[in-house]
Amino acid sequence: MQMWVYVVRRAALVIPVVIGVMTVLFVLISALPTVERTCSFYHPSGRTSPCTTQIPCSTDPSKLCPNPVYQSAVNALGLNKPIFVQWAIYIGNALTFQWGYVAQGSALGTGETGSGLPSLAGQSVATVLSEFLPYTIELALLALLIILVVSIPLGNLSAVYRNRPIDQASRVMSFSGYALPAFLLGSLILAGVTFALGGPAAPSKICGGTSTVFLDFYGSWPTPPCTPLYGTANIGPVGYPAWLSIGYISTPTGFPTVDSAIHGQYWLALDTLLRLVLPALVIAYTTIAGLLRFVRNSMLEVMNQDFIRTARAKGLPEQTVIKKHAGRNSLNVTITVLGLTFAGFITGFPVVEIVFNLWGVGRIYAYSVVGGVNDWDFGVLFGTTLLFTYLVVAANIIVDIMYAYLDPRVRLG
Amino acid sequence: MAARYAQYKRTWYFLRRNTLAMVGLAIIILFAAAFVYGLTYPASSSTPVQYCASNGPVPVSPDNPCYDAPYIVCTYPSGTVSPGPGCYQTPPDNPNFIAPTFTLAHGLGAFPFGSLVYPSADLSTSDPLFYNTYTMLEKGTVNSVGLSVLIVATGAGVGLLLGALSGYFGGWIDEIVMRITDIFLSIPAILLVIAVIIVGKSSGLRSFDETLVLIGIAFVVVWWPFYARIVRSQSLVVREQRYVEAAKASGASNGRIIVKHVVPNSVYPVFVQMSLDVGTIPLLLAAITFIGFVLFPYPLIPEWGSVAAAGASILTAVFTECGVKGAVCAVPWWQVAFPGLAIFFFSLSVNFLADGLRDALDPRLRR
Repeated sequence: MQMWVYVVRRAALVIPVVIGVMTVLFVLISALPTVERTCSFYHPSGRTSPCTTQIPCSTDPSKLCPNPVYQSAVNALGLNKPIFVQWAIYIGNALTFQWGYVAQGSALGTGETGSGLPSLAGQSVATVLSEFLPYTIELALLALLIILVVSIPLGNLSAVYRNRPIDQASRVMSFSGYALPAFLLGSLILAGVTFALGGPAAPSKICGGTSTVFLDFYGSWPTPPCTPLYGTANIGPVGYPAWLSIGYISTPTGFPTVDSAIHGQYWLALDTLLRLVLPALVIAYTTIAGLLRFVRNSMLEVMNQDFIRTARAKGLPEQTVIKKHAGRNSLNVTITVLGLTFAGFITGFPVVEIVFNLWGVGRIYAYSVVGGVNDWDFGVLFGTTLLFTYLVVAANIIVDIMYAYLDPRVRLG
Repeated sequence: MAARYAQYKRTWYFLRRNTLAMVGLAIIILFAAAFVYGLTYPASSSTPVQYCASNGPVPVSPDNPCYDAPYIVCTYPSGTVSPGPGCYQTPPDNPNFIAPTFTLAHGLGAFPFGSLVYPSADLSTSDPLFYNTYTMLEKGTVNSVGLSVLIVATGAGVGLLLGALSGYFGGWIDEIVMRITDIFLSIPAILLVIAVIIVGKSSGLRSFDETLVLIGIAFVVVWWPFYARIVRSQSLVVREQRYVEAAKASGASNGRIIVKHVVPNSVYPVFVQMSLDVGTIPLLLAAITFIGFVLFPYPLIPEWGSVAAAGASILTAVFTECGVKGAVCAVPWWQVAFPGLAIFFFSLSVNFLADGLRDALDPRLRR
C-alpha cells in the first residue's frame, strides 16, 4: 500500500489506545474523594475555595454550614451524574486540554515547594504544563541526539569486533547503565565536574562576582547576581531580564536556547545548551545501556545473512560492506527498540531535573506528588500523566512510520 | 519428575560456569544476609528528634512542616554572625548540635558509615541506632529488597495468567488483551505507579500494611503487560504442539491444558524476566521516593531512595550556599553515595545472575 495510506491507518489505530488510556485515568480519578475532585478540577470565581465541604456559616461563624461553592462545583463538574456520563465528560475534557486547575491547597498552589517557585494556584493545568514543556523537550531532544550518536556506532562496532576490548567495554557500559540509579549518576557527575573545576567554592567561569563553579552547572539559567564574563546577557546585578520570568519560564517560545537567540543573547543561548549537556548525558546513559545490546545483536544477525557473504564475495571492501549493507539493515530493529524505550525514557526526567535544578515538566510533576495528602495536586498529576502518554503515543507513531519508510515489507504486508 | 530435576541440574551446571553470574550470586547472598540482619532491628518506638532550620528541636511527623526540610551544616570562623536560616554556628551557640561526620568507628556498632543529618540531642542515650547511615541502609535493605521481591512475584502471576489465556484461546480474546496491554504500556511506568498509589492513599489507605498492599497493586497494574506479552508469544507456540493436540483429543478441558501444559512450557522466559525485574524495581522505587513522593514516612521507615533524596537535597543546598557565603562546609556525601551504591550493586548483581540464567536456559547455547 502507499505510504500515506499506512500513515492514516497507523494514526487511526491510536484512537482506541488513547481512549483506553483516558479510561484508565478516569477510573483512577473517580476513585478519588469528591472533595479532591472539586478542588482540582473546578475553577472558583470567588474567594471561597471548593476544597472544603463545609465552611463557617455566614449567620453564625462558630457553626459549620455546607459550602455553596463546593455544591456548585459538584454540579458544574457533573459529579452527581451517572458514571458513564462522567466518563464522557472526562474524555471530552481530556481531548480538549481542559485538565483542571492548580489546587489552592497543594504545594504548587501555595508556593511552598521550597524552591522559590511562586504560587501557581488557579492557573489552568494545561497552561502551566505548556509553559514548562518546551524546556523538557529541549532536554529530551539533546538526550535523544546523544543516544543515537553513541549507541548506533558503538553497537555496530561491538558487533563487528565481537569479544574484543570495545565489545567488553560496551558490555560494562550496558550493565552499569541498567543498574545505576539516575540520581546517583547525576549527583556523581555534578559533584565530579564541580570538584574537577576547583570545588564548590571556586569562582564561576561564566559569571564574575560571587557566583561559583557549581552554579555554572546547577540550574537552568545563570543565578543572579551574575556579571557576565562573556557577552552582555543581562542576568546581572539587575536580576533576570523581562523576557525570563523570575528565572523559570522564558518567553516567547519557552525553549531556552531559541528564546535567548531571539533576544540576541547568543552567549546565553550557548550557556543554556551547555547546562543541558550534563543532564542529557545522565538520561542518555540509562537508555543507551538497553539499546546497545539490541543494536549489537541485530547487527550480528544481519552480518550472518547471505547477502553480506555475497557482498564480500563480490570483492567489496569491508568498510563498504559494513556501512552500506549491514548498517542500514540493522537500523530497523534499532528504531523499533528506540520506540519501545520511550516509555521508560520518561522515568529519568523528574529525577534529573531535580538533581540539576532544571525547570521542566518533570520538576512540576515532582512538586505535584511531593509530601503528604494535603500537598498533592491531582490536576497537575493527571495532566502530566496524560501529557506524557500523548508524547509516548506520538513517538511510537513516528517510529512506526519511519520503520515503514525504511522497510517496504511492512507497508505491503 | 526426574526429568525436570535433571533439567534443573543442567541449568545449574551451565550457570556455575558463568563467572559474572556467580559474582552476582555472591553479592545477592550478601544482600540476603543483610536483609535477614536488618529484620532483627527493633522498630523505633521513640519519636526521633530533628533540628529544623530556624527552630529548636521539633518532633518528627509527616504533618510537621519541618519534617523534611533540608538544612545546611556550615561552620563559621568564630566571631562571625550566622548568615541566615539553615546555617548553624559551631557550639556554644547551639550546644545540642552535632555536625554530621563520616567516621569509620562511631562506637555504635560494626560498619558504621557515618552519621546522618538528623542527629539526636544526645547520641548516647536516645535511640542511636536510628541515625546511623549504616542503620538506615540496613533498614532500607529490608524495605527495598522485600518490596522488590513481593512486587515481582505478584506482577508475574497476573501477567502469566492473562498471557496464557490470551495466547491459548486466540481470536478476539487475544485481540482485546493485546489492545489492553497496548494501553497500559503507553503510560510511563513511574507515572502510573504514583497515580495508583496516590489515589489509594487519598481514599484513606495510609497505614504501613495498607501502603504495602497498595504498592503491590500499583506495580501489578503497571507490570502485568510485560509478562502477559512474553507468556502470550510462548503460548502461541505451545498450543500448536503435538502434545496439546493429544491432550485435546483425549478429552482434557481447556483449563487443564492451560494449567498442565501451556503454563509450565512458557515459564522459562518469565523466570528470566522476573529476575531482571528484581533488578529494575529498586531503581523505580528509588526514583519515586527521590522525587519526594512519600511512600513511607521517612525516617521512620527508610527506603534507599528516601535516604538518598534527603542527602541529595542537603548536598545541593550546601554546594549552593557555601560558595556564595564563603563558609567552610561539611558535605554529607555519604548520604547519597551509600544508598546509591547499594542500589547499584544490588541491581548489577541481579542483572548478572539474570543474564547468566538466560544463557543457561537458552537451548541453542548448550550445544
